[in-house]
Amino acid sequence: MAKRFLLYAVLTLGAFVSLFPYLLVVLTAFKTQAQLSTTAPWLPGLPPTTANLAEMLAGDFPRYVLNTVVMTALLTAGQLLFTTFAAYAFARLRFRGRDVLFWLYVATMMVPSAVTMIPLFLIMRELDLVNTWYGLLVPYLLGSPYGIFLMRQFFKTLPAGLEEAARIDGAGPMTILLRVMLPLCRPALGTLAIITVISSWNSFLWPLIITSGDDTRVITVAIATLKSGIGVDYHLMMAGSLIALVPMVAVFIFFQKHIVRSVVLTGLK
Amino acid sequence: MTSSTAPGALVAGERPATRRARRGGDRHAYLFIAPSLFGVVAFLLLPMVIVLVLSLFDWELLSAPEFAGLDNYRRLAGDGATWHSLAVTAGYVLLSIPLQTVLALALAVLLDRRVKGLRLYRSLFVVPWMATPIVLGLIWDWIFDPREGALNSALALVGVTGPDWLSDPSWALPAVALVSVWQHTGYNMLFFLAGLQGIPRELHDAAAVDGATPAQRFWRVTLPLLNPTMFFVTVTNLIGAFQVFDTVYAMTDGGPSHSTEVLNFRIFQTAFKEFDFGYAATLSTLLFAVIFAVTLAQVRFFGKRTTYDLS
Repeated sequence: MAKRFLLYAVLTLGAFVSLFPYLLVVLTAFKTQAQLSTTAPWLPGLPPTTANLAEMLAGDFPRYVLNTVVMTALLTAGQLLFTTFAAYAFARLRFRGRDVLFWLYVATMMVPSAVTMIPLFLIMRELDLVNTWYGLLVPYLLGSPYGIFLMRQFFKTLPAGLEEAARIDGAGPMTILLRVMLPLCRPALGTLAIITVISSWNSFLWPLIITSGDDTRVITVAIATLKSGIGVDYHLMMAGSLIALVPMVAVFIFFQKHIVRSVVLTGLK
Repeated sequence: MTSSTAPGALVAGERPATRRARRGGDRHAYLFIAPSLFGVVAFLLLPMVIVLVLSLFDWELLSAPEFAGLDNYRRLAGDGATWHSLAVTAGYVLLSIPLQTVLALALAVLLDRRVKGLRLYRSLFVVPWMATPIVLGLIWDWIFDPREGALNSALALVGVTGPDWLSDPSWALPAVALVSVWQHTGYNMLFFLAGLQGIPRELHDAAAVDGATPAQRFWRVTLPLLNPTMFFVTVTNLIGAFQVFDTVYAMTDGGPSHSTEVLNFRIFQTAFKEFDFGYAATLSTLLFAVIFAVTLAQVRFFGKRTTYDLS
């Protein structure tokens, strides 16, 4: 019995440690400068103030949030579209060079993004796309080898009989993919969408390098500049952080099943 | 996108194809992979080639590139700051990876017993993984604040004076590594949990019947069977850890006195602060070589051990 109690104590402590920084963000975002120095970090400031959030939302912040939403939406749409087609071809169609190409894709999964950063910047500079939406999006718009790998694994699990039947009815690959396979792919597409939404929303280094103006500034870069500004205002910074975190937490709450499923799909078999 | 419904245009499945139909299948397949193939070639393979070529040039962006042969590599050999940053990177990896792997495995083993509220715990543990790394860096920067931060305030409650964490060169790197542990432990736990639940109970029962203690069952049965999961988790975590950037940028900016200046951060500085692109490309090549070597070593290490195919 004592052992059982200890088990739950350890698990609960772990869960608390997981959530604690989030709790701090929420508490601090609703504190005034004065409350920040008079209350312990883990206690709420009473009465809570919405002035920090109001101040952040009154400035350019909403615009950066909107930029991030647009970037995330476009990258996710691109990933889903191009990844689905490529993964279907690799999983279900036969064509010359298929295996070589697929291994090439898998090999590129190992290439660290840190290594391609400088050449990507130079390519964009050569094309005159620095500080444009094109420069921000194009390198990551056409689907990732990782996503293709994930979706291919899923396509392979679907029964071949479905395709056979459609083919006998005279359907071509495009029809089979869109009408027969795609409806069955919803769980896998959901998983891929969430992974892409999170990684796009969180991306920092590439936007930092490729963008400089307000038109294309995303929330991660905006938050980073909050710190380098003179005199760090933690309560404002945490209000900004809260604005950046809330959409991801919402995504998580609604789609957590998919996130857990992504683990099983990631090819542990 | 047009929809083709021409009969016999597709060849898939296990049947031998006629040449004509085969050509039709090829055409569709190439059409399907064309955009992603363009992406892989233009934004992954071409950049790899450019990095290698660029590392042979002296180029400060505003001047014209000048062929320098192996000059950059010679400079690298004598560049103490870079070797220091490689050591910092290794320190970061050694401080974060073993801890987050062991903790993740331990949590997974705990959750693998019939725990009430399994789903809830599992979800709560994964929450840190969602956090935007740059935001996370700022939050932890504040938690580590020596006077107002939550960590030292909590330590003060129990009568301990905490260190200056991020402004103390001997504490800054462990502090940054701790953030990685906080962020990745729960996510890794998901993989271990999936791995554990894939192990047939009969194997444990058989070992128990043969008189194996719980500890023996863990080391001799569970761990060897988790080998593929362990391989996946350590390979992906290491590749990620060698490239850490966001949290360092937000928490310490490489300081104090270069104690958190990891290699990826130094590459960024060399390219985008000093505009020394040729040398930065050389440093990128070094980073790639290190990651490649470490991954290869892991493949060999895990490949040598027995893996059990139960499917």
